[in-house]
Amino acid sequence: MSQLGTRPTGEAASPSEPVASAPPARRRRGPNRRFFEARILPALFLLPAALFIFGLTVWPVLRALQLSFTNADLSMFMTGEFDYIGLANYVEVATDAHLRGVFVTTAVFGLLCVLGTMVLGIAVALLLNRAFKGRTLLAILVLLPWAVPRVAVAALWEWIFHDQYGLANWMLTSVGMEFFEGFAWFNNRYVAFTAIGIAIVWQSFPFVALAMLAGLQSVPNEVMDAARVDGAGAWQRVRRIILPMLKPLLLVLIVISTIWNFKIFDQVFVMTEGGPARQTELLAITTWREAFTQHDFGLASALAMGMFVILAGVTLLYLWLIREEGEL
Amino acid sequence: MTVTDADRVAPAPRRTSEGVPTRRAWPRRALVQLATYAGAIAVGLFAFGPILWMLITALKPDGEILTSTPVFIPSEVRWDRLANVVTGDFAVYLRNSILVSGATVVLSVAAAAMAGWVLARYPLPLKRYLLILVLSAQMFPFVVLLIPIFILMRQVDLLGTHTGLILAYLSFTTPLVVWILRGFFQSIPIDLEEAAMVDGATRVQAFRRIILPLAMPGVAAASVFGFISAWNELLFALSFNRNNPELHTLPVALQQFIGRDTTDFGMIMAASAVFTVPVVVFFLFTHKRMTQGMVMGATKG
Repeated sequence: MSQLGTRPTGEAASPSEPVASAPPARRRRGPNRRFFEARILPALFLLPAALFIFGLTVWPVLRALQLSFTNADLSMFMTGEFDYIGLANYVEVATDAHLRGVFVTTAVFGLLCVLGTMVLGIAVALLLNRAFKGRTLLAILVLLPWAVPRVAVAALWEWIFHDQYGLANWMLTSVGMEFFEGFAWFNNRYVAFTAIGIAIVWQSFPFVALAMLAGLQSVPNEVMDAARVDGAGAWQRVRRIILPMLKPLLLVLIVISTIWNFKIFDQVFVMTEGGPARQTELLAITTWREAFTQHDFGLASALAMGMFVILAGVTLLYLWLIREEGEL
Repeated sequence: MTVTDADRVAPAPRRTSEGVPTRRAWPRRALVQLATYAGAIAVGLFAFGPILWMLITALKPDGEILTSTPVFIPSEVRWDRLANVVTGDFAVYLRNSILVSGATVVLSVAAAAMAGWVLARYPLPLKRYLLILVLSAQMFPFVVLLIPIFILMRQVDLLGTHTGLILAYLSFTTPLVVWILRGFFQSIPIDLEEAAMVDGATRVQAFRRIILPLAMPGVAAASVFGFISAWNELLFALSFNRNNPELHTLPVALQQFIGRDTTDFGMIMAASAVFTVPVVVFFLFTHKRMTQGMVMGATKG
């Protein structure tokens, strides 16, 4: 494995060594060296990363596509064999009520998380863009949730939403909502998703807030001052100047959070493991369960391809959006 | 109090452009400033409160954890749980996490530094498509990659080894790090490289001696980014090494610990804290660069 990583580096360096160490060759810009630097060098330098990217992302996607047309299961490891069963796995995904429901749940839950993240992130960015004492401290505090590992986030919020000793129930009860005394957050899908959603938004709003803050600060002061002199109110300044200028950034942030939220696995896996009775299963959880507890790699691959198609669509949208911005 | 704050903090040029503040403007401004502070306190509590609660729970005596009314200020600070995490069972998981994340970063940054430089400097055929591929590789859902990579690792007998996990992690760290580093190389003027080559250096020497040292802040930021994404990863680690507890990384250990014993929240929070602290420290030093890198990468290509 380590060979895989280091060998190309060694190769890349060694052909240049003779050129470097032999003094006469040093000044000579002969055709050999030019050919090496123009053609061989870039190829050698790209090789390790290309190996990783093609071998570990492109190839697996193609392999998943292949597996999705098969009945591959655990016996594949013993016999190395599986049969092509056409579109049967896709038919099952489309006709099984639970599997179809998982797609809907993932989409609805993902989009609600995007909405929550964007609204909170933008509000906090606008707040941080104001002048007040302790602004730097607040910016640091806001950053922290983003830094907490996802599994720790899940552990922490599971503790906060604990039915008997959780902070959430205690706070809700102490402001007079007696209903929440001993309330079980993870026994019902909607309430469980609320708790999980809060944990996810808590972790993801900092990125949006800090990115939007950077965007807000890139709006020239002169423009804002001129608008103010011309009598534009705060809301008008937001709508007529800030929004149009930050529209590309906003769209990109929406697309990025959509991609992130469709992939959610860790938080749900730790907090509910998809339960009770598979009610909080999201696409990534279902796919994992089909593959690693049911050992139905074919069906799991079909589910994975469904997810891939959705995210590829969002990714294309993202690429198109940043293309509008030039460069790429 | 609030009025004087508003007075002191309001930037001078703003007031000149508004002219002399009228008498009616003052109460309104004070109100807005008051709302700002209220919002700041609310946001600060929401963001930091849970983390503080994690630390408090980790450091409490056992008797003050499972109480119907939360104890916010523990009667004494108990460091033994944190000590347990660092020396007990979790020490193995901690070491596994450091090993796997460290190796992943070294390999992906070495590969990505070279590729990022080539992608920033050379006019390659199909370069646009290569870049699109690098960028999209970051979007691939892990679950799609998981099954084929799992089967591959099983076939080459790397399941239940750190090597298999490190290889799998390269699938998502490499594209990310290539993308970040390419941006950094682009920001270094090509003139420096050309000057070195006029002085007789080969292109590789120019890269190694001139460009790479200048890109070090970027390499550091990219390394932290790669390290954190490997450090946090649960899905691959869980699927590859579920039956080898001695190979578990921190995320897996924590997930299994929660599943096994959901009542020892003191220990769960202590493990979470140890798991979180390195990332927080990294973030505090590199977050500007990382947000910049991501937003720049996101909006400027």
